[in-house]
Amino acid sequence: MSEAFSYYSGVPTFIEMLSIAMVAILIFLIGMILNMKKWGGGSIKAFLSAFIKSASENKHQSIVTSLVLDILLQRRLLRRSPFRWVMHMLIFIGWGGMLLLSLVFAAFEMLSEIGIGSFDLNAIRNSFDVPNEVLGYLLLLGLIIAIIRRLVLSEVSKRTQIFDWVLVLGILFITVTGFIAEGYRPDSVTAWSFLGADAALAQSLSLFHVAISLLFCIAYIPFSKYMHMIAAPLTIIANGGGE
Amino acid sequence: MADEKKAVEKNIPEIPKGEPSIKTDVIDPISLMQYDACTRCGECDNWCPTLDAMKRDMNISPRDKIGRWRNFMGKNYGLMARLFGPRKIPEEDIQNFNDHLFHCTTCGACGTVCPAGLNTIEMWEATRQQLVLRGNGPYGKQSLFPKLIGEMHNPYMKEQKDRLLWVPDDVKIADNAEIAYFTGCTAGFNMQVLAVSTARVLNKLDVPFTMLGEDEWCCSSALIRTGQPHIGDTPREAAIHNVEALEAKGVKKVLFACAGCFRAATIDWPRLMGRKPNFEVVHITDFLAEQVEQGKITWEKSLEGKTITYHDPCHLGRHVGVFEGPRKLIASMPGGNFVEMERNRELQRCCGAGGGVKAGIPELALGVASARIKDALDVKADILSSACPFCRRNLGDGRNSVMSLETGDFNKRDNEGNDMQVEDLIVLTAELMGLSTKIKSET
Ligand code: SF4
Ligand code: SF4
Repeated sequence: MSEAFSYYSGVPTFIEMLSIAMVAILIFLIGMILNMKKWGGGSIKAFLSAFIKSASENKHQSIVTSLVLDILLQRRLLRRSPFRWVMHMLIFIGWGGMLLLSLVFAAFEMLSEIGIGSFDLNAIRNSFDVPNEVLGYLLLLGLIIAIIRRLVLSEVSKRTQIFDWVLVLGILFITVTGFIAEGYRPDSVTAWSFLGADAALAQSLSLFHVAISLLFCIAYIPFSKYMHMIAAPLTIIANGGGE
Repeated sequence: MADEKKAVEKNIPEIPKGEPSIKTDVIDPISLMQYDACTRCGECDNWCPTLDAMKRDMNISPRDKIGRWRNFMGKNYGLMARLFGPRKIPEEDIQNFNDHLFHCTTCGACGTVCPAGLNTIEMWEATRQQLVLRGNGPYGKQSLFPKLIGEMHNPYMKEQKDRLLWVPDDVKIADNAEIAYFTGCTAGFNMQVLAVSTARVLNKLDVPFTMLGEDEWCCSSALIRTGQPHIGDTPREAAIHNVEALEAKGVKKVLFACAGCFRAATIDWPRLMGRKPNFEVVHITDFLAEQVEQGKITWEKSLEGKTITYHDPCHLGRHVGVFEGPRKLIASMPGGNFVEMERNRELQRCCGAGGGVKAGIPELALGVASARIKDALDVKADILSSACPFCRRNLGDGRNSVMSLETGDFNKRDNEGNDMQVEDLIVLTAELMGLSTKIKSET
């Protein structure tokens, strides 16, 4: 174990973090297996072969085009509502970007832990500070727009169900805990450093933040109505994408 | 108690304890996945023609229907169901869901605008079939389709030997030709002005064509759209019969003037047969647009400064993607002023007749048609044209309802004296080419 290294905000417990991540991924995979069984009428194989058949028969464009234009850039949504597209992209880029940075950093940390390479993890972490903060604000802005939209537009608020609020407020809670954990970090350089330096609190908050991120944003998805986050991109691929 | 009553009324077998209330065996895996892919954004609700016609009764909302079926699936096949057994879904909920699902023309607008790209047409049709198998569906008079189409090969209770009764003496039909005209039941029996106009236009253009005549069977679109393809296996038998009969004639190209038959021949028949036919399937408007491009059409008359608009039939446009042929044809007609309705091409508003709605829920079909008529009135159209006998019939009913006119004789050309003429493009084409559009009984 590297000497008192702090993962982002000061969690020295790489093993704990890894365990939570593994559990979250395992729960996610179990959920995906159950869903694929449900879609395939009890057989994962039936689902997978129907999926592959559909994706290859409906090939109006290359899969790369579908991934980039339809899934990442959401051009179908842009055609219908530029406003909702901006909101969605802010959330998607913020959330997806931070997930990516976390994965990259976790990879460096893991390589260090198992002794494959020797990296200056503090320097890497510090170099991620600015992009992480920018991405965090993009996500926060998107969430604020989503909340105001649900409160202000009567058509939208009438049709909002409890789980819509759980999703938006859940991600907002995770985002804010991330900012706060960062703010308590003794070497914090963010706007949230006004909270004061408290290494112990930063460690606990950071662990809490990462744990709920993994459980809510990964493990819970296949068991909830948020399954659309996985099923919608799969649908676009199965239907061959396109405008 | 209410549940038992509903189940008995509908003849639904009792579900043994511990068994799921719904099955999913005829819904394909991709459609089942799509129920989980809906983000609940509500975009589809902004475009659904039946939701509008039902004064936004949210039971009809595509978004809500997806959510309800997803809930049913969760109760019967979700994690809790796996751990503790499936939960019983009240019979009334399933029946209500069924009835709301049939308040849909399968127009596909919801899928076209869906940011998640859901193929809703496939979802609706497969789920309808599941509910028909369960004993809940179809809806109203739609239940007559299997017997009529299965036994008589047309939904109008006509004899097969009368398939060619509409053919007037002046029309020449070849025994063998490279091109065939698949007339369809509606044009052949109930809207003969379309059949005679198509035949005369082809004759005038010197395009020899043949027909199946008594050998032509209903395309079976109505059975597929209403979730009844399994009953007697009629659509598959019809697909095999029609395709093999056309192939036996050695035709290279088959022309369709009915959007419903065209959709069935393009998408449903190959799927049912497991292979593509050995001929090209072409809608007559695309064929005529080609003739225009080749300079083969000579217009004898003009639209005389009238404003004309075009309604894209769902089965021709959104379902198959034919949008430009009809517009090229109209653009070539002399003396007209073509205007688009606000909702056009893939975003058009359905005429209201499809998906079995005209037969099952005629008042809903009329409500949707009336909305489409108002779309045409908004652009001050003198002529509302379309390219499907079913659309023309229902839009004609809508026009009559909005303008308080008497019911017209849809077998014949629409009255020019009507404030807004509702007419098929092929009938207009025949007229402007100087041809008679009179049906046999008028000649
Ligand atoms: S297919 Fe058409 S009528 Fe049916 S739910 Fe979708 S938009 Fe509404
Ligand atoms: S448009 Fe698509 S994703 Fe949005 S509510 Fe309708 S079906 Fe669901």
